[in-house]
This record gives sequence, structure tokens and C-alpha cells, in this order.
Amino acid sequence: MIDLTPDAEQRFESYLTRMRAALRGSATGDDVEQSVREHVEVALGGVEGPVSADRLEPVLAQLGPPERWVSEDELPAWRRMMMRLSQGPEDWRLAYGSFALTLLMFVLMPIGGVLLLIPAYLVSRAFVEVLASRDEAIGARRWLVLPPVVIVMAIVTGIALIAPIGAAVSIGLRDLDDMFSTVARMRYDTGFLAMSAGVWWIVLAGIYSIVYRPYRAAFLPLTARLRRGHALVLTLVGAVFAAIGAVLLFVV
Amino acid sequence: MADSPFYVNWTTQLRKGLLELAILNVLGNDSLYGYDIVRLLSDVDGLVITEGTIYPILSRLRNEEYVETYMEESPNGPARKYYRLTAKGREELRRMNHHWQRLHESIGTLRKERKR
Repeated sequence: MIDLTPDAEQRFESYLTRMRAALRGSATGDDVEQSVREHVEVALGGVEGPVSADRLEPVLAQLGPPERWVSEDELPAWRRMMMRLSQGPEDWRLAYGSFALTLLMFVLMPIGGVLLLIPAYLVSRAFVEVLASRDEAIGARRWLVLPPVVIVMAIVTGIALIAPIGAAVSIGLRDLDDMFSTVARMRYDTGFLAMSAGVWWIVLAGIYSIVYRPYRAAFLPLTARLRRGHALVLTLVGAVFAAIGAVLLFVV
Repeated sequence: MADSPFYVNWTTQLRKGLLELAILNVLGNDSLYGYDIVRLLSDVDGLVITEGTIYPILSRLRNEEYVETYMEESPNGPARKYYRLTAKGREELRRMNHHWQRLHESIGTLRKERKR
């Protein structure tokens, strides 16, 4: 063993720790450490007395930063994933973070895991913003990032489209247990449902035309093609339903 | 002129592939210990940027049984680990040298044809 001053020993140990971290997961770790120790001993073999940190430094500098010794593709898959999470570009860290939260949400669903949908969605949004700032396409990372956006969009859109109709039905229709029980009731209930849906969707189209920008921004890139003009489609659908409802309620 | 990212990436990739060939070649005729291998390769201009890179490659070549190691006492200190080619490594080196030679000649021919 080479005789090192306390400073040099501390410096060498810190270098070896860094090296172990860089080679973790590769099949060569222990063997390389032994070789590096031998390399340093041979390189400083002719030095009289304990080797100082100043004498050790050039040898370590020539060995170079251990992080550059092994290329990423030589490391096992779990290590590459960890590297991307800890050192990789921000977008990869966010993508894997979002995916991990979504996975955890499903695993912990019986004990309230659904709450993880909120952070998963926020991390996905951050990822989309990073890509947008770089004008970069989402590519294969969509499979890691988009599931929470799809789920939140489906919930928000579903509630916006249906919930007020449900409320109208529960307030406006009597004897809900007897819904569709007779021909007359079937006509009235269907008419009421169609009228409620139609009127609500016309109102919703108006709301959408005002708040379509935040709605579109909240669910990018899924809503990238959404325009204010789509409110007209919803208005037309609403008008058709309202007309059907009116016919069933007041004409037939 | 500063090296472009393309040039830097290209030389890095080239060096990565050539280091294995160079290591096997320095062990082609002799058993050497790690430090000597590093010194010999560091003398080749542009081949070794960080000396430590060589040790993971040596270790991998040993895991793949292209080289083997043995310990030998040293008059200047503790026993040293020597590396030598195995029969499998020698055969692989022969094929790699042959391939490199053909590639080198083909690139040379391409360059000559472009100059005409």
C-alpha cells in the first residue's frame, strides 16, 4: 500500500467513491477499482515519504473523470434509467417522474392513490412546457407522459358535458324510479333529457368560446388542434338536441 | 479553429472502437501490467484522452475471455496484475486486424478516387 498524507487519502477515497458511483451496475466495478489502486501505486512508486494531495492530483487528473470511462450504452437498463432521472436532461427526468407517479397511482388506487393523479398531471404539463420552449416534438415519450393528461382531460370534459344534465334531471323529473316506465313517460323523459342536454351544450359552447384558451393550454398536446370555432359545432349539436327535446315535449 | 460538435462526436466514437483494437494489439506479443498498457497507449497521439477509460475495457475483455490476468511479484512493491491474450482473444485480434486493414485500404482507395 502506498503511504498517503491524510489530505491525499481523503482525496483518493473521494475519487474512488465517485468511480464506484460511475461504474455502479457495470460488470467491471471491483476489478477496475483494484486496477486503479495499482495504477496510482505504480505512478507514485518513486515518491519519497507520504504522498501529498498535490502529488496525487496530476495522477488522478490523467486518469480523468470516472463518469467518462464507461459509455451509457454499456450500463444496465436500470442504471441508464436512474442516470436519466438524476443527471439527464430535464425533460427525461420529468417524463420518467410522470410515468412513475401514474404507475404508483394505479398501484395505490385502493388506498387513495387517485390523489397522485394531480402531481402526475402537473409533472406531465411541466414536461410539455419544456418541450414547447425547445420547439421539440414529444416523440416516443408520449407513452410516458400523456396518460395522466388523457385521464384528467376525460374527467374534466366528461363532468363539463354531463354533470349539469344529471343535475337538471334530478331536479326537473319526478319519480326517477319510474323513468321510461310507460310510453308517455318515455317520450317525456327522453324529451326532457334531450332538451336539458341541448340547452346546456349551447350554454357550454358559449362558456367554451370564452375560456377555450386555458382549456386548450391545460391539455396540450392533445388539444393542439382545438380552436374557438369548435364552439359552433357544440352549439349546433346542442341546438339539434334541444329541437328534438322540444318536439318530444311540446309537439308529439 | 474550435472543433465542431460533429467532429468531437465522430472522434469519440472512432476512439471508442479503436481502443479495444489497440489494447488487444499491445497485448499481442507480450504480457503487460495495467500501468504499462496505459503508458503505451497514451503515447499514441489522440487515442487516449482519459487514462482511466482503459481499465473498464480491460476488465470487460477479461470478462469476455479475450484476455486473462495473473499476479506477479514486483521488486518495486506489491504484486502486479499482468494481462495477456487468451487463444480466443488472439483469434479475435487476428479477425479485427484483418477487418481494420480492409477498412483502412478501402477508405484510402475512396480518397484516391475522389482526388482524381
